Formats: sequence, structure tokens, C-alpha cells
Amino acid sequence: MSIDNPPTIEVDQPEEPTNRPAADHRLKEWLSRGYVRRIIVLSVIIGLVILPLAWLVIHFMNLTGAPASAIMVEIERTMFVFTVVSAPLMAITLAILFYSLTGWGRVTGEDPPMQESPAIRTNGTAVVLWIAATSILAGFLVIWGLVELATITSYANGSTPANQQPNGQKAIDINVTGQQWVWTFEYPDQGAITTDTLVVPIDVPLYFNVTSKDVVHNFWVVELGIKIDANPGAITNTGVTPDKLGTFNIRCAELCGLHHAYMQTKIKVVTQAEFDSWVREMGGKRTV
Amino acid sequence: MTDTAVVYQTHDVPQPRQHGKPGGILRHTSIITGTVLGVVAAVVTYAIGSHFFVPWGTQNSDASQVGLNALIAATYFAWVIFFMIGIGAFAGPIRWALGHDLTHDDAEYMAGKDQGKWRYWKYTTDHKVVGTQYLIVSMVLLGLGGLLAMLIRTELGITWMEVFDPNFYNSLIGTHGIVMIIALIIVVTGPFGNFILPIMIGARDMAFPRLNALSFWLLFAAIPPLASNLFLGGLRDGWTVYQPLASQAPIGMIGYQVTIIVFAFSTGVASVNLITTSVTMRARGMTWNRVPIFVIGVIASSVMGLVWFPMFQYSQILAISDKVISTSFYNPVMGGSVWLYENLFWLLGHPEVYVVVIPGTAALMELMVVFLRKPLFSYKVAIAGFAGVVGISSIVWVHHMYMTGWAPSAGYPFMLSTELISIPFGFLVLVMLGTLWRGKPWTRLPMMCVYAVVWDKVVGGITGVYLSDVPVDQYMHGSMFVVAHFHYMLMGAGLFAAIGATAYWFPKMTGRMLDERLGSIGFWVAFFGFQLTFGSMFVAGLQGMPRRVLQFDNAFNISNWLSTIGAFTIGIGMLVFLYAIITSWRSGKPSGSNPWGGKTLEWQTETPVPLENFPVLPVVTGDPYDYGVPDPYDAVLEADKQPAGVA
Repeated sequence: MSIDNPPTIEVDQPEEPTNRPAADHRLKEWLSRGYVRRIIVLSVIIGLVILPLAWLVIHFMNLTGAPASAIMVEIERTMFVFTVVSAPLMAITLAILFYSLTGWGRVTGEDPPMQESPAIRTNGTAVVLWIAATSILAGFLVIWGLVELATITSYANGSTPANQQPNGQKAIDINVTGQQWVWTFEYPDQGAITTDTLVVPIDVPLYFNVTSKDVVHNFWVVELGIKIDANPGAITNTGVTPDKLGTFNIRCAELCGLHHAYMQTKIKVVTQAEFDSWVREMGGKRTV
Repeated sequence: MTDTAVVYQTHDVPQPRQHGKPGGILRHTSIITGTVLGVVAAVVTYAIGSHFFVPWGTQNSDASQVGLNALIAATYFAWVIFFMIGIGAFAGPIRWALGHDLTHDDAEYMAGKDQGKWRYWKYTTDHKVVGTQYLIVSMVLLGLGGLLAMLIRTELGITWMEVFDPNFYNSLIGTHGIVMIIALIIVVTGPFGNFILPIMIGARDMAFPRLNALSFWLLFAAIPPLASNLFLGGLRDGWTVYQPLASQAPIGMIGYQVTIIVFAFSTGVASVNLITTSVTMRARGMTWNRVPIFVIGVIASSVMGLVWFPMFQYSQILAISDKVISTSFYNPVMGGSVWLYENLFWLLGHPEVYVVVIPGTAALMELMVVFLRKPLFSYKVAIAGFAGVVGISSIVWVHHMYMTGWAPSAGYPFMLSTELISIPFGFLVLVMLGTLWRGKPWTRLPMMCVYAVVWDKVVGGITGVYLSDVPVDQYMHGSMFVVAHFHYMLMGAGLFAAIGATAYWFPKMTGRMLDERLGSIGFWVAFFGFQLTFGSMFVAGLQGMPRRVLQFDNAFNISNWLSTIGAFTIGIGMLVFLYAIITSWRSGKPSGSNPWGGKTLEWQTETPVPLENFPVLPVVTGDPYDYGVPDPYDAVLEADKQPAGVA
């Protein structure tokens, strides 16, 4: 701009004229900066390090026994998916964090640095992209969670996944009573037999009516992936269909006083025939 | 003075009569008179009460138990009330009610003028004294909580035997929990909200100096009832003290309830004071878009405390009423509801996490701009993040109750709100990353805390996403995974941020530099110990280890051994850090008034800060983050745009 050639004011011009390079050109220029490239590489490396976490998580969850119900399978799948979809954002965050330690230079010493960094007040593109990315991620997690919750709720209520054998068997009701510091299980349909170790047949829906005689306990069948508080003065319900033979853990997951740590027992998942003979042994009657 | 004061004087507003000599009983009260009067009142209450309330012949009947509970509660309340009377908390208001205000001399005396170190032991209204008192008390509480944590980890590390009696172990976890919660709630807003914030906004003191002293001494009075429960049977029910387990508890439980009720008053008073100060006492020219971000963080935290702490307090008022007058709000046998307690408790219980994390985060944002010599990235996004977290945090509490059976279908909406809070929380991470972007960090201890805290927030945030999901929570709820997650948030993001804030403002508070080498060693040892402790605790949780147990399956041994090693590493690191603080406070290098080259107002006044902070009240003409040079990349674009821009 010079005095000989003053700018003309055009009133009708709809948008401000600008010499700003086109968006794709700016993106290209941005991607050509050394630090951007290094951060991208670092993100990919960190992402590749994080991703095995997804398998590791499942590995740890299975250390005390593989999933023994469709509910537990869904829970592990959710853990896996959440880890995988969170990994990119985590990787980018950590990449920027680690890179900034030295990547743009650093200052040491006793006195405040005189060398100032670029005054970046904000960056609309970065803000919009970040908010969009986190919102999409959160939205996905919410939708996934809602669908999974509906799924496991339906499993808990006795419906079985389509890929398993269809069964029209009646669910077995089990009354679970927590008291300091033992679990008692009653089978009302099998002649009201009671036990302190659960024995249940495989592939039959179980329906638990959980209550407590004294304080709040929490009925947690670890490998079957169900958990519900046992409240005094109220009955809470949960259900599951075990699909794996074996012995699994039941633990109290709510602090219930002196011997809370020892308030645990086992659940034995057996075949229908074994279950029937166990019921006879216990003096109950066979109803199924 | 401001224009407002001039206007009042011209209109000759009638002032309260100021007759009488300066002096009076105010000048003779201190922690000594307070403690003496409090203890005497407690003993007298107990002695008189035991004649009337408890028929000693019938110790085993319910009636005598209720009487004993009432007696203990009365004793504790007598201690609190008479301690406050004895220290002179009500001397000012009483004189006011009698028609004479404090004279100017008295007000200056109460602010601790010319009293040397003794002013830290009195009902001193100067915000700098209160801030220092808060710093010391929070460090004492953190030390106590840390010691209890070491005992917990000792028990859990020695997997082959019971080291402690289970009742004692349960007391350990409960006391550790509530002590740490109280310590973390005060650890940033207490010292720095009181000491630094008024200077930062260019005020001479807090809006309500006497309330400021009140909030601190209420906190102080609340501690003995909590501590005494260790001798009255212990707090065996976790820091959550779920009902009706708490109704079985020994009488020490009353101490917990009194403490929470009193502490909630203290928090409420402090919150009102901090909010009012930030809103009304800002220097001329400090418009809302020039307010340092730390002030915004403290306001956000205070709003949450003010709104939600009464819920926690109320839950304990109902609990103490169940104990001492035999109501049955929580007693299911009599038609009460355990879910009522859980709801009231978690209404504060969840926002409380943000009460801890937000001021720490804001303090780190405040200091990182100084060490990066860059403006804060997207100041408005940071404010939106705080506002969003404050808003959404009030509608997420039921995620602590997914597995209680209270309302299974509530899982859907509360899963939605809980996952949504990660969006405004993400804003805060964006602001910190954006500020780091292309900055050259001055790698001093406060700045390194920023790196540590962002790392912890990432880990704590991602694991929080798992827990907010109902199906995953169905596995994780009540397991060690939860313990590891909230330690990443409360300790990793909360306490380490507080360490950063302490290192940053230490020169302003004490006039001396914090020993960089010792402080850093302590900090990093604690940080890596922390990763080991809670990293392996995640594994124990994934394997299915429930929390709050003292014995467990052998399958969990390895991760518990690692956790214990990590915990003792934290302990060593924290001791080194504490040693650094003590030695630096006594004989550190003098810092001068602005060792970091900060631009906010607290660095512009001299050190030690004079009684009324500024000789002349400052006028603010710019925003506090005026650091940095024009971006060289932008300069090219700006040059291109120049003709168009002028046209």
C-alpha cells in the first residue's frame, strides 16, 4: 500500500478480500513443518504401544478365569472397544506432552527466560477439531454403552444370545441372603434347599433375588460379570446364564464390617444331570 | 480508595457509634484460651450429661446406647462451640450487637499487625495468615493420611498374614479416606485461594476477613473429633460410612459426623467468602476477561462446594439424629432407606472430585504460562470447560450407585451425563496442550508438575470412561480398579497439582525459594512411586480384587507387592519433599518479589507482602497473559493480509 495508490473502498463487496492462502494450501504448509511431522510420528508410535493394552486388559481380567457368561463376554468386549477408541486421542495428547518437553527447545537455569515463545492466543481450527473429536468419541461411547446396557439387561432377565442354543427352560430362582459375613442361597423351586456354595446347571437362566439381613453387602459373581447390592429391607434382582463349566468366585464388594474380606464363596457350574443329583442329595425335589 | 467510598462520605452516611477504648477481651484470646475453654466445656458437658443422659446401670440396653450417643455428640459440639468462643470468634459480632463496632486499632490488631509469629496462633483476619495456616494444616493432614496409607499398604503387602486386627484395618481405610478428602479439598483453595487470590485480583484483603478466620478455625475445631475416633473404636466403615453399617459402629462414629457437619460450615463460609471476594474486590480495570484463570478455577470450585456440601452435611445430620434421638431415616427395619443416605452422600461425593481437581488445574494453567512465556491458549475455552464441569458434575452422582439396585433404569441417563462430562473436561486438557504447543518450557519444578499432572489426568480420565459405563462398572464397581482410578484423579491430578502450586507460590508466601534439587527429587520419586502403586492396582482390580479387604486370593499377590513397594516409594519421596519445604522455609535462598517473572498482580507487590498488600491499589490495564512474541508463521500471513485489512 502506498500513497500514490490509495485503496479503494468497495461498498458492495460481499466478503473481505484476502490474500490468505487456500485451506488446502495452509494444511499442506502446516504438515510440512518439522515439528508437526515429528508429533504425528510420535503419536503413531505411542498409539502402537498403547493398543496392546486392549489385549492386556482382557488378559488380566481372565487371569482368574475366562468369562463364564454372555454378560461377561459383553463386558470384556466393551473394555476392549473403549480402549481401542480412546487410544488415538490418548496417543495424540501424550505425543504433544512428551514432544513439548524438549521439541521446541527448553530453558534451564535460575533466571526467568527472556526468550519468549510465540503468542498463540487461540486457534479456531484446533479448538473446533478437538471439541468435535472428543464429542464424537464421547457420543460413540455413550451410544455403545446404552446399547450394551440394554443387551446385558436383557441377558440378565433370562433371554439368551441368539448364537447360543435356544432354550425354553424356566429360569431357576435363587434367593440370595447376605449377612455378616456369609452368603446363604435358597432354591425355592427345588424344595427350598439352602446352601452356602452355589451349585447351578449350565445354560439355564438364573434369577437372583438378593437381600440382606443386616447391612449393605454386594453380591459379585466375578467371572459371570454380575453384581448387585444386597440391601436390608429391600430385594434387588439380577440374573445370568452361565455357559461354562467350572468353579467361580463370589465376593462381597461392599464394605460390610469386620470380616468383609472373608465374605466370599464359590459358584459351581455343573451339567444338568449333576445339578439334578445334587438337588436330590440335598433333599430337594426336582422340578425341571 | 474507589469512587464509591467518596460518594458515601459526601452523603454523610451514619456510622455505627465508635465509642470506647480500643482493646478489651479481643486482645487476650488465642488458640490457648480457645483450647482451654473448649476442653473445659467438653469435660463439663460430659460430666453433667453423664448424670442425666445415661443410666449407668443399664449399659446394654438400647436406651442407654442412645443416651451415650447423645452425650458424646453434646461433648463434641461443646468442644467446637466453646473453642470458637474461646479463640474470640464471636467477640467482634458480640460487640457489634452491643452497639459498638471495632475501632480501627482493633481491626488492625485482629489483622495481626505487629504481632510477629504469634499471629498465626490467634483469630487473625489477615488473609495471608489464614492462607499460611491452611497450608500448614493441609500438610499435617496429608502427612497423617499418608502415614495411614503406609499402614494400609503394609497390611496389603504382607499377604501371608493379618498384620492388624480387622477392625483396626477398617478404621485405617476409613480414616485415611476422610482425612485425605478433607486435606485435598483445602489443599489448593485454602492456602492459595486465601493467600494469593486477593493479591492476584488487587485487593487489600478478602471480602469478609472475619469469616475468613472463622472458616479456618472451624476447620481446626473439626479435626479433634475426627482424630479422637481412633480412640473410641475407630471409623470402621470407610470414608463413605454407608448406612446401616454405620449404625453398628462404636461411638467414635459420632466424631466423624460432628466433623463433617462442622467442616461443611467451614467450607460454606470459605466458599461464600472466595466467591464474593472474586466478584466484588477486583482491582479497577480487571474486567472479567482479564481475570487470571486461577480465580475462575477457585470460583468454580467454591460454587460446587457451596451448592453440594450441604447435601453431605445433611446426610450426616440425619445420621446423627438416627443415633442420638432414635429417628430411623436410614434404618430399614423401621422403614428407613439406605438409598436415601447413598443419594445424599454422593450428591456431594462426586462434585467433590472436581472441587479437588479444578483449582489445582487452574493453578497449573496459571503457572505454566509463566514458565512457557506464552499466553494461555484459549482462555475462553478454559472458562467454558470449568463452567461445563461445574454444571454437569451436579447430575452425575448416580454413577456411584449403578450397582445398588436403587433404580436400575437410572443407569441410562446417568451414563449419558457421566460420559458427557468428559467433553468439558477435555477442554481443560486442550487448553493445557495448546499452551504447551510450540512453547519452550523453563523446566523448573512447578512446570514439571504440569507434565506429571497431564499424564495422570490422561490415565485417570481414560479409566474414568470405563467406570462411567454401566456394563463395565458391573465388573469394576467396588474393586481395586476404582481405587486406582480415583487416586489418579485425586492424588495424581489433585495433589501433584497442589505440589506444583506450592512450589510456584512458595517464594511469595515465605520470601524464599523452594530448594529446586531436593524438591524435584522428592517430587519425581513420589511420582514414579505413584505410577507403580496405582498402575499395579489397576491390574489387581481387573483381576477381580475387591477393595477394602485385608486378605485376598493369592492371585492378587504380585500386584499388591508392587503396590506396596510403590507406596513406600511415594512415602520416601513425600518425606524428601517435606524436608525440602521445611529447610527452604527456614533457610532457603531469598527470592525477591518476582523470581519467576510473572505478570499477575501477586508478583508485582513486594515480598514479604505488607499488611494491606499494596501501598497503592493497582489499576489493571491489560490481560495477565501478555507474554510471547508474534508467531513467525503468522507474521507472514499478517503481512499478506495487510492491504485488505486496512481497506
